[in-house]
Amino acid sequence: MPDTDASINLIPGRQFALGRAADAFLRALGGTKVTLRISDPSAGDTNSQLGITSPTAEDIVIAPAKVQMMQPAGVALRDDKRRWQVMFSARALHAAAEPYGVTDLCAWLTGSQGIVYRGRLIPITSVISSSFADGEYMYIAIATE
Amino acid sequence: MQATKDSFYITLRDRLVAVDPNRTIMLDGATRPAIVVVENEPPGTPPTLCDAFYLYWGAARPARPEAGTLMEMECVISYRTKGSDANGNLDRGRDLASLDNDILAMCSPPNSEKCDYSTGTDVDLGSTIFWTPPVFSALVNAPPYVGREASITVFFYPEVDQT
Repeated sequence: MPDTDASINLIPGRQFALGRAADAFLRALGGTKVTLRISDPSAGDTNSQLGITSPTAEDIVIAPAKVQMMQPAGVALRDDKRRWQVMFSARALHAAAEPYGVTDLCAWLTGSQGIVYRGRLIPITSVISSSFADGEYMYIAIATE
Repeated sequence: MQATKDSFYITLRDRLVAVDPNRTIMLDGATRPAIVVVENEPPGTPPTLCDAFYLYWGAARPARPEAGTLMEMECVISYRTKGSDANGNLDRGRDLASLDNDILAMCSPPNSEKCDYSTGTDVDLGSTIFWTPPVFSALVNAPPYVGREASITVFFYPEVDQT
């Protein structure tokens, strides 16, 4: 009798199936693309330290992804701020982050300037990732106005 | 007032490089001395780095209204550490003491030339700023961090003609 998951001989690469399912789910929701604005590395010189030189930024389009407004459901959310839930395809996000040498996608998202949504820049305040069989299939960010 | 803020920061930064050149941080993809003026950073950037000095500028007021145009401005320097993993974080107190020492070293001597940095280069304004010795708050123990604040009053003559 097998006593661990490893010896059950589960299907190798099964995490990719959930990745594709997550992409299909986002497309079914009507999600197309989300623009993420990230800051370019600071020059680190005196002018940037004094806030004289404004940081440059770059827009990255990530698809499939979906933005939807969150309804205040709990006491913690009963304030004047509007929040959006942003669901990113992990596969698309990995591809977008790869050229930048990013290893921690959650930190990369929270460290970004935010998402550009309907012409407004909305900062990302928190990010969680969903994974299955050691593979992430979706990143869910909360953007707060 | 901006020239005072900038001159104070640049003075402390340069002194930090001199007394503790290894105290650096990575911020926005750049390595720099571990001292940051919070109001000069992008909004939403939380001051979360350990072993770094965060400067907050506070109220400004005439120092002695009956005696002239000298003004004073509050500056709070906040910092914290969690020690080193190699030492099981048991050296938090020692690391905090090292940060305290850096503050004392950066603040001495308690004066500096005042320069205008708004054009991208330093232009000597022919005046000086000076400040009080740092006053250290009680240690704040918020596991795994220990930290504190140092308060300094900076004196300066405003750049505008008040006569």
